[in-house]
Amino acid sequence: MRIPRGLRPLAESLAAVFLGFMAGGVLVWAFGHSPLAVYRALLVGAFGSREDLLETLAFATPLLLTALTFAVGVRAGLFNIGAEGQVYLGAVGAAFVAGSLPLPPGVHLLMATLAGMTAGALWALVPAVLKAWRGVHEVISTIMCNWIALYLSMYLAIHFLAEPGRAERTIPALPTARYPVLSEESTLTAVLFVAVGFALLVYAVLWGTRMGYELRLAGENPDAARYAGVRPERVVVLSLAIGGTAAGLAGASQVIGRPPAWSLYATLGNVATLGFDGIGVALVGRNHPLGAVLAAILFGALTQGGRLMEYEVGVLSELVRALNGIVVFAMAVPELWNLVRGRLIR
Amino acid sequence: MWSRIVLALAVAAALMAHGAGTDAAPGPFKIAVVSDVGGRGDLSFNDMAFKGGEDAERDFGVRMVELVSKVEADYVPNLTRAARDPNVRLVVGVGFLLSDALAQVARRFPDKNFVGIDTFAQTIVKQKFPAQYPLPNLMDVVYEEHKGSALVGALGALLAAQYARPHIGGVFGIEIPVLWKFEIGYKWGARWATEWLAKNRPEKAFSYRKDFVLWTYTGTFSDIPKGYAAAKAMYAKNAVAVFNIAGPLGLGINQAVQEIAQAQRLRMGPPFWIGVDANQDWINPGFVIASMMKRVDRGVYYTTRWVRDGQFRDLVHRTQGVVTLGIGTRIAGQLAEGISVSTLEDLDEFIRMGLQAERMTRKKVLPAPPAEIKSKVKTMRNAQPRWVWDAVAELEKKIREAQVTVPMVVTKPDIERWRGELGSRPDRWPAMAHRPFQP
Repeated sequence: MRIPRGLRPLAESLAAVFLGFMAGGVLVWAFGHSPLAVYRALLVGAFGSREDLLETLAFATPLLLTALTFAVGVRAGLFNIGAEGQVYLGAVGAAFVAGSLPLPPGVHLLMATLAGMTAGALWALVPAVLKAWRGVHEVISTIMCNWIALYLSMYLAIHFLAEPGRAERTIPALPTARYPVLSEESTLTAVLFVAVGFALLVYAVLWGTRMGYELRLAGENPDAARYAGVRPERVVVLSLAIGGTAAGLAGASQVIGRPPAWSLYATLGNVATLGFDGIGVALVGRNHPLGAVLAAILFGALTQGGRLMEYEVGVLSELVRALNGIVVFAMAVPELWNLVRGRLIR
Repeated sequence: MWSRIVLALAVAAALMAHGAGTDAAPGPFKIAVVSDVGGRGDLSFNDMAFKGGEDAERDFGVRMVELVSKVEADYVPNLTRAARDPNVRLVVGVGFLLSDALAQVARRFPDKNFVGIDTFAQTIVKQKFPAQYPLPNLMDVVYEEHKGSALVGALGALLAAQYARPHIGGVFGIEIPVLWKFEIGYKWGARWATEWLAKNRPEKAFSYRKDFVLWTYTGTFSDIPKGYAAAKAMYAKNAVAVFNIAGPLGLGINQAVQEIAQAQRLRMGPPFWIGVDANQDWINPGFVIASMMKRVDRGVYYTTRWVRDGQFRDLVHRTQGVVTLGIGTRIAGQLAEGISVSTLEDLDEFIRMGLQAERMTRKKVLPAPPAEIKSKVKTMRNAQPRWVWDAVAELEKKIREAQVTVPMVVTKPDIERWRGELGSRPDRWPAMAHRPFQP
């Protein structure tokens, strides 16, 4: 059977999903659980009721954004792992505007969202400038920036934004700076629509504009791009800035778009690991903005459905995580293979 | 004839419908324990809550389900997941970080009972939804940490007298009001002991000085090297014992003690350290003089009993939803305590906890076989003069009978006033001391 070329990535991913779930099944079977019962719980726990579905989407929202960060980088030929730190600063920016600046309704929410996105983008400019004009490899600079961002954000959160008497978190967002909760049954808010809208926008820019074409061309073939007059500095700055904006929005979404705390924890606990998880989501989503949305929903389902696995079937929480890891790894293999092959051929 | 059969069937149907409608529990009585991000295996706060659930399983025939939170975003979904189980009658959230989530989820499930350990969920309800305050199905369980801290403060000062040392120390975490309760309690207890000495052991007596207690807020509950650096500076000033009020930073304090012990080939303190929350005496037997125990397990155990006996909502109503466990506290006519200084008898219970952690993690947790730990702790306790323990017991009795009042400090003006009286200058310590741990 011949598969049309355009659908090949999808077919590969589906095959990988199948293999991943098979391997995960063997793992839980080895620990004495029935794979069928485990996967039933996963499915029911993630999609079985309206509130589970909404919670799945709530967990998917920030991940689809951090996946965009990595995906746009890869499309431009960059290995950007700086989403983690950009998420932190995005959260700090949003927490500051949302909690400390009294603004009229509507404007406040907009400003808080923009503050998060801007903070993320500005933080991404550091490795962008280093790469574009000094040739510093983005893997090194983004990892270093992540650590600086961690301690800088904790410092800002504890010393300038902390709620008096509750040092564990920042001043919560004022009601005017909160995304409306979609249903009392879950922690999902309207920030989901902003996130999906952003993904569509990125898709439109990458495949519908000259700027996006140049970016992808530079990623596919840097030499050809340079020959065609594409300025590499521009591509580096643009792709990292888009990524930083997405990551900043992801951080903001957990502060002004996620009840019940509406604030950033001083430990950064409610935004930590979102950036790194986004790399996995992007690989599963084949580094495509729309793939990122689907892959993020899958990740959200593993988190939310994993809860019922733990609760109903009694799977140890560590085993839930291991199982999720295996599934994700298997699904990321096709894209990882593409990346590696691309480097080898070059 | 037919009409009678119809009638009988109708009665039977009515009875069955009635049976299904009441609380005549269709399934087993389940309780759910939702941990904070510390999770299983912390050997103190969260493990204590699960231990309380296990004790309730043993004594009340309930079944416990565990939900471990991996990230802060898990709190609401975990509490919700538990509350949706029709057999779960009590949901316990462990740790003050769950306060917001408990307030939210408890409002959504008015038929289920919710308990928070160390939380202030009812205060949040009062601020956000004043019309619903106090929520009838929500209880915050809090502890009298100041009283327990006073006891170990006294113990430290008595040891300072016995070994003629100039200081005791306290390593604190992030400066939040709960920790002020520990701080002032500890200093107050030390001063009480100096007064006791003047009366009962004049040959050992010394007068309380404001720099007697060395204390410092490290600003962290997780950065173990900071606990090490802070404690090392205190032992360098010859502190006889250092109180751990920063959870895992106790391991850093222990490291500082261990270095001195190795350098001087000691088999027993001084120097000592003082454990917190759980009985931590087994972590380094011979060098942990005692622990200020905050019985999180009792909180889970008692509240399960109240739900089982149908007293829970009445208690919430009478207490505005906040129950305090401490020394000599009584609830519904029964003794319900949650604060004590560790004894040799407690040790078995906590060695069992260590053994269980070893089985679960397949890693070495206990420093020695249980019998050896126990004999070392016993030797250490017996090596201290009797009057030291007697004085601590006397203070406990006085607190219990309300003959003395330990100040409970949770506000800014209060902490400033009490620091003015008992010591207001924090200890200085080098921030970048030698780091024995990899970050």
